[in-house]
Amino acid sequence: MGTVHARSLDPLPMQGPELGVQADDMDLGEPEQEEKQEVLENKDVVVQHVHIDGLGRTKEDILTYEVADVFRAKNLIDVMKKSHEARQKLLRLGIFRHVEVVIDTTEGADALPNGLDVTFEVKELRRMTGSYNTMVGNNEGSMVLGLKLPNVFGRAEKLTFQFSYGTKETSYGLSFFKPQPGHFERNFSINLYKVTGQFPWSSLRETDRGVSTEFSFPIWRTNHTLKWEGVWRELGCLARTASFSVREESGHSLKSSLSHTMVIDTRNSTILPRKGALLKINQELAGYTGGDVSFLKEDFEIQLNKTLFWDSVLSTSLWGGMLLPLGDKPSSIADRFYLGGPTSVRGYSMYSIGPQSEGDYLGGEAFWAGGLHLYTPLPFRPGRGGFGELFRTHFFLNAGNLCNLNYGEGPRAHLSKLAECIRWSYGAGIVLRLGNIARLELNYCIPMGVQSGDRICDGVQFGAGIRFL
Amino acid sequence: MSLAAEAFVSQIAAAEPWPEKATLYQPLKEDQILLSDSASSLAVQTFLRMCGLPVQVSCCANAEYMSPSGKVPFIHVGNQVVSELGPIVQFIKAKGHSLSDGLDDVQRAEMKAYMELVNNMLLTAELYIQWCDDYTATEISRPRYSSPYSWPLNHILAYQKQWEVRRKMNAIGWSGKSLEQVYEDVSQCCQALSQRLGTQPYFFNKQPTELDALVFGHLFTILTTQLTNDELAEKVKSYTNLLSFCHRIDQTYFKEHDRESQVS
Repeated sequence: MGTVHARSLDPLPMQGPELGVQADDMDLGEPEQEEKQEVLENKDVVVQHVHIDGLGRTKEDILTYEVADVFRAKNLIDVMKKSHEARQKLLRLGIFRHVEVVIDTTEGADALPNGLDVTFEVKELRRMTGSYNTMVGNNEGSMVLGLKLPNVFGRAEKLTFQFSYGTKETSYGLSFFKPQPGHFERNFSINLYKVTGQFPWSSLRETDRGVSTEFSFPIWRTNHTLKWEGVWRELGCLARTASFSVREESGHSLKSSLSHTMVIDTRNSTILPRKGALLKINQELAGYTGGDVSFLKEDFEIQLNKTLFWDSVLSTSLWGGMLLPLGDKPSSIADRFYLGGPTSVRGYSMYSIGPQSEGDYLGGEAFWAGGLHLYTPLPFRPGRGGFGELFRTHFFLNAGNLCNLNYGEGPRAHLSKLAECIRWSYGAGIVLRLGNIARLELNYCIPMGVQSGDRICDGVQFGAGIRFL
Repeated sequence: MSLAAEAFVSQIAAAEPWPEKATLYQPLKEDQILLSDSASSLAVQTFLRMCGLPVQVSCCANAEYMSPSGKVPFIHVGNQVVSELGPIVQFIKAKGHSLSDGLDDVQRAEMKAYMELVNNMLLTAELYIQWCDDYTATEISRPRYSSPYSWPLNHILAYQKQWEVRRKMNAIGWSGKSLEQVYEDVSQCCQALSQRLGTQPYFFNKQPTELDALVFGHLFTILTTQLTNDELAEKVKSYTNLLSFCHRIDQTYFKEHDRESQVS
């Protein structure tokens, strides 16, 4: 919660508040010992001054919004609560290393008898932080250099640069983020990146060089993001044995797309939530702002969680998507959906469901996938309260389908096509939560409904990732 | 793939007969293909016609990137993808068709030498004229090469290709040459070919070989492609036996063959 210091008050009548924010140094008063016991909730107070100490390059105007609420506090408990909230708001700007709150009585000529001064002692982050990591992956090593400049111009703008130099590929990304002063949830960012990826399930190598700008803003309880992205994509075969269908997709293309995402997230945590729901709907329209590729893509993600008896959690999720190529060119392998693997339909190899050619998976234009999970604490609860809390046992049922639709037929035909040849699997395993970012799974899976061409991974399957079905 | 695996795969491929649906891929004919690629593609097509093997020509904007070696043309036969005339000749030989079987070792060495001459002189001169001559590059090569792509990708790819070719010219020492010197080199190459051809119908006896296909591909394309000026075509036209050689092969393998397939 952070430390909050407070001194006791003398009971005297109150007057109107004075608003003023000063960024100067102020001495703390000496703590006095009081023998009398006061019932603090009933004491009316007035917050006269709010100081923020320790500012360097941060401009004051963005901070006034975050601490303005403190002036509205009416009694001491309220002051403590609102100061705590203001402290959280200051921390989420991402420009301070730590924030301490000191509540003191007012002193000086204009001091009211029940006046309070709230001081936020902040320590700004350094102008530039760097990081250097080495990573070892599949038969390749790389060196990753990260550079972060928080609070570049004083209003919580952030500039990050990441550069990865590897034995096989080089990639980099530059990103500039600026929130709107007073409304941190409204922000925009500009990104420049070059990313290379190797996809052995399709024998495909992809290099993307792109620029994107996005605006995020909340509307009522939903969060919206509007993004324009321009990407130069280069596709190539990963091996000489790639199938001809993949070889035909090699070459360069330019994608210029507008996309909109809406997210409603009431879960208490992103990894292993205990309650709440997630709804995410994304649409992307490419081709009307330039570029070679032209399509309309829709996809959605729903997740519902409910805590049951004995600390166990029941979770259901549903994913789906559709890609509609506009114009006469067929869809590109880089835009299609893929299904299967330890993070989607378990029991199948990575992205190894659906249309394929000579062992290379080509992806599909429409898909759906659903999962039903029951998470329980480890049997006999070893390491309870500590390490054991990071683990869960996990029983699951996954199902899904991926196919190409013939858009000439009606929706009834589409639904029947998606409903035939459903792949599904069930099993159990152990889940380990890594912080609040990622999770590891070790499952025993039994795949069913396997179609010819799918590659399965029955038995033990290991998965690591951020987003799981 | 390791050498042993490649040899194994080619043995398997050799056992299969020539399929009906063999396809040759090249860049788009109307808008995109350049002189050097057109010449290489015509050489391969002529060779296949001389062997009597049917092939469909398919034009794709990304043919250069589809090719396993990065060069056009390439053929897709059954499961195999083979690019460039040299490897294609080897591949066809493994299938049992060959045009140079009747040659003895001396003649075969001579044929290889002349093919190297054409590749090192004519092909390099074509590339030089297309990409190192600023006027041609700006008027013809860059617009054509980048025509299937949208802005700004078209400029990026065209300049990338130009830099790549200029670097290659640097590496082989041609960047110091002037356009006049390149035309002179072409003329000398044509003279050598003309002398070897003499009054014979083909370069070796009365049967065509892959050398004939290669020479025809380049010379015919030079004669029939419109560049910024006609100097290159003039250099070739000054050798009359080469002209009649081109005309003869065109008649025998292209016009007659097409007429036959139209009648039947």
